[in-house]
Amino acid sequence: MSVGEVILEAKATSITFGGLKALTSFNLQVKRGDLKGLIGPNGAGKTTAFNVLTGVYLPTSGDVEVCGERVNGRRPWEINRRGLARTFQNIRLFKSLTALDNVRIAVIANTKPLFARDRIARLRSGSSMNRVAAKVLDASNNYVDWWRALLKTPGFLREEAELTARADALLEVMGLSHRRDEQAKNLPYGEQRRLEIARALGTQPKVLLLDEPAAGMNTREKADLMVLIRELREKFSLGILVIEHDMKLVMGICEHITVLDHGETIAAGDPAAVRADPKVIEAYLGEAPAHA
Amino acid sequence: MRAWAPIAVAAAALFALQLLLGRFEFFVYLASLVGVNVILAVSLNIINGMTGQFSIGHAGFMAVGAYTASVFSLATNDTRIAGLGVVSDQIFFVAALALGGAAAALCGFLVGLPSLRLRGDYLAIVTLGFGEIIRVIVQNTPSLGGPLGLSGVPQYSTFAMVWFVVFITVLVARRLASSTHGRALWAIREDEVAAEAMGVDTTAYKVRAFVVSAFFAGVAGGLFTHFQSVITPAQFDFTRSIDIVVFIVAGGLGSTTGAVSAAVVLTLLPEALRSLFGAIGADSSLSAVVDQIRKPLYGVLLIIIMLARPQGIFGTNEAWDLFKKKKAAA
Repeated sequence: MSVGEVILEAKATSITFGGLKALTSFNLQVKRGDLKGLIGPNGAGKTTAFNVLTGVYLPTSGDVEVCGERVNGRRPWEINRRGLARTFQNIRLFKSLTALDNVRIAVIANTKPLFARDRIARLRSGSSMNRVAAKVLDASNNYVDWWRALLKTPGFLREEAELTARADALLEVMGLSHRRDEQAKNLPYGEQRRLEIARALGTQPKVLLLDEPAAGMNTREKADLMVLIRELREKFSLGILVIEHDMKLVMGICEHITVLDHGETIAAGDPAAVRADPKVIEAYLGEAPAHA
Repeated sequence: MRAWAPIAVAAAALFALQLLLGRFEFFVYLASLVGVNVILAVSLNIINGMTGQFSIGHAGFMAVGAYTASVFSLATNDTRIAGLGVVSDQIFFVAALALGGAAAALCGFLVGLPSLRLRGDYLAIVTLGFGEIIRVIVQNTPSLGGPLGLSGVPQYSTFAMVWFVVFITVLVARRLASSTHGRALWAIREDEVAAEAMGVDTTAYKVRAFVVSAFFAGVAGGLFTHFQSVITPAQFDFTRSIDIVVFIVAGGLGSTTGAVSAAVVLTLLPEALRSLFGAIGADSSLSAVVDQIRKPLYGVLLIIIMLARPQGIFGTNEAWDLFKKKKAAA
C-alpha cells in the first residue's frame, strides 16, 4: 500500500492499425501517489494509449504491466480487477440506471467467496492445468453467488447492504448524494463526469486513468475538478493519469507530463520543462516560419 | 426465512385454487397455456430485456425441454414408486421437468459460448439458427417420432404445478434483478465496453443469462408436453419464438411485469375472439379464421405499440416498484 510502489508500467508499447502507427514505443510508469498527465494534439494517440493500457486493444509489441504482472491480452475486466480503473472521453455511463446503481455495479463486495480470490489469481498465472482449475473455482464461486442471491441468504443481504453503503459513500465524496436515485442520463454534464469518476473509484483502483475529465466543463467546474483530483489522490492514495486538453489544468496539477504526437513520445518531464520544449511548441502551434 | 415464505404461501394458495378450480377442464387447459407462455416470456426477458442480447430462438430451448421430458415420462410411464399412488406420478413429473430444464440449460450454455463474440443482428441469427436446427433434428429423428412427434405423454400437469413454476420463474427474475448480478446484466445492456472496464466479466454473465433463461424455457416445454400429451416439431417452429419475442417487446423489454401481462393478454386474445365469434352466431369455420388472423393481429398490435410507445407498455418499470414508491411516499 506504500506510496511509490509501481502499479502501472508501459514498456516500449506499440500498436499499429493496418499501416497506421497509432502508438510507437510508449513508455510510462505510474506509481501510487503519482499525478501524471498525458497530452498531445488531436489524434496524437492519447486515447489509444489508454485503450492499450486498459486492455481494450492488444499491443502489437511491447508490454503492459500492472503490479509487476504482464497483462497483454488480458480482458479489460481482468485488468480492472488488478487495480486499474478508467473514465471515458465520451462519457459512457449506464444511462438509464440510477446514479446509485451506476456506482453499485462497479463496487465489489469485500466478503469472502467460497474459494479465496487471491488463490484463484495465483492459479490463473500458473500452468495451463492451474488456469483450468482457476476457471472452475471461479465459476463455482459465481454459481454459489447466484444461488445466494436467489435464496436471499443473510450473507447476501449483508453484502447488498455493504455495496449500497460503499456506493453511497462514493457518491458523497463526489458530491452527488442528492442525485442518488436519478437516472444518469438526466444529470448535468459536469455531474455525469463526476459520476463516472465515482463509478471508477467503486472498483477500488490503485491507479485511476481519467480521459479528458474537464471536457465540456466551465471554468468554475474545472477549478473545482482540479481540487477534487488532488483530494482523491490523497484520500484513496491513488496514482492518477490524466489525459487533458486544458493546458491550465494539466500544468496546474500534474507533476509529470508525457507529450504524444502522431503516436510518438516527443517530450516527457515536469510541466515547466515540457512547456519550454521546442518540439512541443511545434506540435501544438506548428513549425515557425523559416523567414520569420 | 423471509426468502422462503413467499414460496410457501404461493404453494398453499395454488393448492387451494387447484381444489376449487381443478374440475373445470377448459379453464385448466387455458390457464396452463397462459402459464407456459408467461414462463417463456419472463425467461426470455432475462436475455433480451435485462442483458440486452437479442435471442430469437427461445422455442428451440422449449423444444429441447419438451422432448427430453417427454422421452423420460414415456420411458418411465409404467414405473411406479410402490405405496405412493398419485404422488409417485408427480415425483416422476418433477424429475422430467428438471431433466428437461437441465438439457435446455446445457443447450443454453452451448449457444451462449459462440454468441459471445457476436452482437445484435448476428447473435439473433445464431439463436434463430439454433432453434431451427433443433426443430429439423427432431423432425428427422425417427425415435422422436419425426414430423408426427410424440404422443401419449402422460398428463401429469396440473393447474397448481404450472402456476407454481410461473411463480418461481417470476421470483427468480425479480430477485436476480434486485441483486448485484442483475445490475451487472443491466450494465451489459447499457454499455458493454463500460461494463467490461468496470470489472464486469461480460462473457461469463452473458453465458449465465443464457443458461438461466434456457433452463426455464426447458421447464416450460416440459410442462407443455404434460398437458398437451401430443407434441410435434411444428409446435416449436420459428413463429413460436417470434410469439415470445412479441410478448416481451409489447410488454416492455426489461420489465418482468410487462412480460407477464403481455403473455397473459396475447394468449387469451385469440381465445376471446373465438368465443366472440361463437357468441355472434358465426359458423364454426370462423374459429379457424381466428387462428389465421392472430398473426396479422399481432403484427398490427406491435406496429401500434412501436409507434405509440416504443419502450413497450411497461417500459422497464415493475409493478412491485410502483408499490414500493407509493409506500415510501405515504
